[in-house]
Amino acid sequence: MNPAPTIGVIALSGELDLARRTELQEVLRLRDVHASILVDLSAVTYADSSILAELLRFRADAARRKVAVALLITTRQLSRLVQYAGLGDAFAIYDDRGAALSYLSEAAG
Amino acid sequence: MTGRSELRVHRVAKGDSARPLRHALASFMKAAQVDEDTIDDIVTAVGEALANAIEHAYDDGRDGRIELYVRLAEPGLAEVQVCDEGTFIQREDRQGRGFGLRIVRSIARSVSIDTSGGTTVHMIFNAPRTEPAA
Repeated sequence: MNPAPTIGVIALSGELDLARRTELQEVLRLRDVHASILVDLSAVTYADSSILAELLRFRADAARRKVAVALLITTRQLSRLVQYAGLGDAFAIYDDRGAALSYLSEAAG
Repeated sequence: MTGRSELRVHRVAKGDSARPLRHALASFMKAAQVDEDTIDDIVTAVGEALANAIEHAYDDGRDGRIELYVRLAEPGLAEVQVCDEGTFIQREDRQGRGFGLRIVRSIARSVSIDTSGGTTVHMIFNAPRTEPAA
């Protein structure tokens, strides 16, 4: 019997800008064998486009390894940043954790 | 208008310089009773201009200065300038890097960039004020 697919969670918080780029590059790396990953950005109070570049790189890395990724975005500033950058369709974005996990469970199954 | 109508603040351009400048901008606009969603958007756009200045203006290793100037003009407009003494480089020109200028242009009513003697990004935003409680 195969084990149930696992969902990894990467949680980020606070203000994500240029000053935290190195930290973001370190955190947004595929380390473990997860079938899918939730990037929980619900506690991010501010983000600039540094985070978008890192998320795009992370998404591309994950796609190469067939790992599904979803973003949990609940704050207006980050939600609008993504829209202003024209990236609304570039990610699987959810504002509800349960919905994001359901998506990832199905994607991993 | 409530409070001061101008803000001018500067910092040495380092990686962590943008945060206090963004906070100063947000506090200034909040004191002037600018609508909160509008403050979010303006801080987002100005944050991109600040990040661009910090990241690229002093690529030659100099310790440069960045300055933020804000003026609240009637009726419901905000004029913002981000100035540095270095070279402007659009992040879009760099492979895989950000979306800064696209974001600024999506939010601002107008954007102009003056590169004579350093770089000044000049932005005009709609900045409606909330009505004071009766």
